[in-house]
Amino acid sequence: MSKQNSRSIAASLATAACSLLGTSTISPVQAQEEPDWDFNTALLYYGESDNRVQDFSLNVLARRIYVDDRILSLGLTVDALTGATPSGALPFDGPQTFTRPSGKATYTTAPNEIPLDDSFLDTRVALTAGWQQPLARLYSINAGVSASKEYDYVHLGANAGLARDFNKRNTTLSLGVAYSQDSLNPEGGAPVPLSAMLDVGDLSNRMGDQDKDVVDLVLGLTQVVSRDLLFQFNYSLSQSSGYLTDPFKFLSLVDPVTGDPVSHTPAPGERGPSHENRFESRPDERTKHSVYGQAKYYMSGKVLDLSYRYMTDDWEIDSHTLEARYRWPFGDRSYLEPHVRWYTQTAADFYRISLVDGAPPLEFASADYRLGEFDAITLGMKYGWTTRSDNEMSVRLEYYMQDGSAPSDQIIGNQVGRELYPDLDAIIAQFSYRF
Amino acid sequence: MTRAGESRNPQLRRAAGYYQGLFRAMGSPCELLVDTKNEKLAQKLLRLVAAEAWRVEDKFSRYLPGNIIAKINESDGQAVTVDDETANLLDFSATLYELSERRFDITSGVLRKVWIFDGSDRVPTAESIRQIMDSIGWHRVSWQRPRIRLQPGMQIDLGGIGKEYAVDRAAARISPVTSCPCLINFGGDLVASGDVRQPDGWQVGIESPDSEGSAKKLIALRTGALATSGDARRFLLKDGIRYGHILNPQTGWPIEHAPDSVTVAADTCTQAGMLTTLAMLNGANAEAFLEQQNVQFWCLRQKSESSRSRL
Repeated sequence: MSKQNSRSIAASLATAACSLLGTSTISPVQAQEEPDWDFNTALLYYGESDNRVQDFSLNVLARRIYVDDRILSLGLTVDALTGATPSGALPFDGPQTFTRPSGKATYTTAPNEIPLDDSFLDTRVALTAGWQQPLARLYSINAGVSASKEYDYVHLGANAGLARDFNKRNTTLSLGVAYSQDSLNPEGGAPVPLSAMLDVGDLSNRMGDQDKDVVDLVLGLTQVVSRDLLFQFNYSLSQSSGYLTDPFKFLSLVDPVTGDPVSHTPAPGERGPSHENRFESRPDERTKHSVYGQAKYYMSGKVLDLSYRYMTDDWEIDSHTLEARYRWPFGDRSYLEPHVRWYTQTAADFYRISLVDGAPPLEFASADYRLGEFDAITLGMKYGWTTRSDNEMSVRLEYYMQDGSAPSDQIIGNQVGRELYPDLDAIIAQFSYRF
Repeated sequence: MTRAGESRNPQLRRAAGYYQGLFRAMGSPCELLVDTKNEKLAQKLLRLVAAEAWRVEDKFSRYLPGNIIAKINESDGQAVTVDDETANLLDFSATLYELSERRFDITSGVLRKVWIFDGSDRVPTAESIRQIMDSIGWHRVSWQRPRIRLQPGMQIDLGGIGKEYAVDRAAARISPVTSCPCLINFGGDLVASGDVRQPDGWQVGIESPDSEGSAKKLIALRTGALATSGDARRFLLKDGIRYGHILNPQTGWPIEHAPDSVTVAADTCTQAGMLTTLAMLNGANAEAFLEQQNVQFWCLRQKSESSRSRL
């Protein structure tokens, strides 16, 4: 076929095919090669008020979808954390000096300020790999591994799951198990639980590396009720064992009458804490049960997504989470999605705002605000759009407000009126791009 | 384009989100996918599609006795008057013969008598090919619609058009009945008919030539057709030379350096199928030919692959 003629072959062929088939109402072909890989990338900023924790997080999830619904997924997350976090010590009307977690230096908190540990700076790199594939006609299986590394923390995990479809594929039952092993190696060593904060250079209360294991079990049921309505229910059991204490958190030792921190005098010629503090201590087992229900309702393009979770554990923390999202499409390619989440939890049975000098010794105690009683509300809005080349982008902005309270029966003397529970506001901003 | 004794019993089953109908026709597995929850409708469409496939097969298969092709092939030099549909196919074949500069030739089927691509080393002798060449050539056929006259010993074979034609015909049969999204697939030649399947059309895999069943490329077909030509399992190997199954009617020998597989997207399956065949007949220049046609295509070769999409 010579070059001059070949250009017109497709056109001549179209005419000939048209008269062969005798049809005129043929829609032009629209075919597109599916990319071998599908990338989901997100850049997330999380910023707490008052110069507390800030996290920049980059997330890349690459998926390769093979025919027969076999899926390989690979994920990478890099977090850069900076800022300060409440140490657990109580504020009071004088300055307080603390030894840094490394045991190498001190820092001082101004009067009436919540003591924050500002040596919080870390980079975390996490990798995940997963495989999913159908097995026989109604089953599918998945398996994955994960690993992450921070300066003083290494996580390794593995998971596997099995799902089976029933009822003309309108019902799916799934079972998943996950195991993870984390090891913690804080600079200077993890402190002995409930031991005193020591002077600079004194590492006599430090222990070696610490480990914890977590086993998770999830049972799931997904039910397609109609073309417009989908339900999902999960039960999950999580069992942690090992070193569950936070080596950077401690409690103030307070006077039983005034409620002020008991002062401490460093050894002659040494720098050290101005007041007595005790490192926290948590049980080395934790069993959590949670149930989760979700309903998704599709209304001609709009999607209402409601969910509820109840969690209870043997640390006596009970929590409720209610969440709602509403996807509201407009135009051909955009949508807005308001989001509201309400959360409440009771305090762990060993949550204490402080330890009282002279009181009988406790086995477990923590002043970590995350183990206290609090409510939290998240309000957010997401705007998403599809580009002309069918890539999806979205921006999300959320505001998080956490409001907790100290148990009234633990408040002593001068503590009345002080900010005993560090409330928290945070902004979450995310940009994501899928191509 | 048929194998005797194929069961004519379509099977319908519910798959994830659609109905899948399966049957065999023209020596190939055939499939109808219907994006509906209405089983009765799916059943009805499957009956229509299968009936159309078998009608085209019965009427135009060169393997079946008593049909119009048999009548022409057994005419022994006598003119045969054909019906409109047959005449349309012969007109179309004549056009392709011209467009391909005589490389697409429905009289070349007799070469299959000497070329049997079974993976062996039984390459026919030059002499046996030369003898057969005397009964090949559309220019030796007298075709004046509606009368065709072959020279004694010549045969025609519409197998190179039939499957793609049947796909388009089947689509035309169901379009007055429903607008719900359907995919008609006869042995890898397929057309998406009805409304566009949401959200991204039908996912079609192109098989890699060296591995059966595992697709190398996934194509989302929203409207229109895809056809694939090529079968890496059909070849002869002798003295280190590989003889592919695409034959050049002008020489009687295989086209050299043809791709292992060519897939083309076009408005109709007939157009797509003819473009794949013409590309194959271009051998090493298959990709260059398709690029000039400004069509979307995917060529697979053992060691490399090339594709180009219209922007």
